Amino acid sequence: MQRPRVLPSQPTRRRFLAHLGGIGLTGLLGASAWEATAAELVELPFANGRRELVTNFPQKGAVLLQRTRPPLLETPFEVFDQGVFTPNDRFYVRWHLASIPTAVDPSTFRLKIHGHVERPMSLTLDDLVREFRPLEIAAVNQCSGNSRGFFSPRVPGGQWANGGMGNARWTCVRLKDVLDRAGVKAGALQVRFNGLDAGVMPQTPDFMKSLAIDHARDGEVMIAYAMNGEPLPLLNGFPLRLVVPGWYATYWVKMLDDIEVLDKPDDNFWTTKAYLIPDTPFANVAPGQQGVKMVPINRMVPRSFFTNIQNGAVLKVGQTTTVRGIAFGGDTGVAKVLFSADSGGHWREVRLGPDVGKYAFRQWEVSVRLSSPGPHNLMIKAVNTAGIAQPDHANWNGAGFMRNVIESVSVRTT
Amino acid sequence: MVLIWALPTLFGIALATALAWLGTSHSTAVAARAATGPVPRWAKVAVELPTSGTSFPAGSGAEIANAQCLICHSAGMVLRQPPLTQDEWAGEINKMRNSFGAPMPADQVEVLAKYLRGIQGSQSPSGPSILDAQGS
Repeated sequence: MQRPRVLPSQPTRRRFLAHLGGIGLTGLLGASAWEATAAELVELPFANGRRELVTNFPQKGAVLLQRTRPPLLETPFEVFDQGVFTPNDRFYVRWHLASIPTAVDPSTFRLKIHGHVERPMSLTLDDLVREFRPLEIAAVNQCSGNSRGFFSPRVPGGQWANGGMGNARWTCVRLKDVLDRAGVKAGALQVRFNGLDAGVMPQTPDFMKSLAIDHARDGEVMIAYAMNGEPLPLLNGFPLRLVVPGWYATYWVKMLDDIEVLDKPDDNFWTTKAYLIPDTPFANVAPGQQGVKMVPINRMVPRSFFTNIQNGAVLKVGQTTTVRGIAFGGDTGVAKVLFSADSGGHWREVRLGPDVGKYAFRQWEVSVRLSSPGPHNLMIKAVNTAGIAQPDHANWNGAGFMRNVIESVSVRTT
Repeated sequence: MVLIWALPTLFGIALATALAWLGTSHSTAVAARAATGPVPRWAKVAVELPTSGTSFPAGSGAEIANAQCLICHSAGMVLRQPPLTQDEWAGEINKMRNSFGAPMPADQVEVLAKYLRGIQGSQSPSGPSILDAQGS
């Protein structure tokens, strides 16, 4: 797809120089010391949304700081305008537990496969990459709570804008091939995944997630050892990460070193008590609604975003402008992306960029010509190949999961 | 600091991707395909994670927040939350105690909840809680 130039816009993203711990000391410390205490701040568009743009996390460029320990880092949204693959150094980061190894030695690292199998194994990284068929898959990794900050009424949790997601090309081997080598015994129900991270307190439940045995052996769930052609950044799970295409990132266990085949349902905290959604379409309930059946979060739903235009942009009446963005289908491919220049009154299909895989981001673009002066509400809506469209109204649930409402931007023409 | 295989790998991927794009534009590509490029040579990775110097703002209960919350996580996550009622804060605190093992005596819960509501000033809402206080 040809890359149009970024639109002239009046960004809602405001920049500040903040004196972090250095207020009033400028005159005393001089310019260089003042700069050392200054950070760029970004206003995410919801209450209490001011975030520092930081560059002090290892193997990471400029990212939005949600929490230092354990790290919670958001991808600044303009990164998504630069292409369908999210660069490793801008890729969002989300850890649950603060005891994270800061060094990993590939010569001693082992991936263990055990439990309800014929032949328990302990694989080196070289075993994994040499003895199993190497594959590549492009897939979106999205936090269950991506966009939680936009929930209304607001809910607690990581207060992300829309940057709790990314798309990468994962170099990997099939989980199925590894399980087959170990020989799954009859009666296996689930496969449980654990990484090198742990809680600070011994009482804190270790972070583990499970998949049904048939899902684990479907040939699409992968063990990734590279991300966009390079080793994973440590904060994205070096050296190995589970890739569960089409499913929320909570299942994509980082620093994966332990795979256990279970012959009874996993009863660990993170599977039974956390990451539960209402068992309703789009996980939607009314605020305060009680007695809804809860189930583990699972498949993603379609989303689409504007990437080269923001709220407050000013366009010229009668002039043709290229508006573009990204879309993904959730647990399947994008069938079409629809654009409206009149708040959803009329929709038309936009042009789609190259398809790099059905679980990946896909670029879209549309030529827009607005003939009347004044405010306009532009909307974008993805429909996936299963026929699921983004909903008109935002979903709501108490944990702030699975937001995927139609996105809109307010612009003005002069 | 890590592997030496990035360049040839990237070239291979770029070539394969370009060829794939030529053939698959506007159709659904297969989800996975054979990987290209050499087998990686692994190198040790060691990093340092930044620490947070942020402590909770002064007030009655700040000493509990600084002693308890900071055991497992930095303060920023708490300070960036939306306004919550005192009961909702108590729910969050009890989740930390009951699900995650925070070693906080029960008689400190209301003091801390009141403090956390207080540092958000008059923004805090009233009325019954709508939250489901999951562990995630």
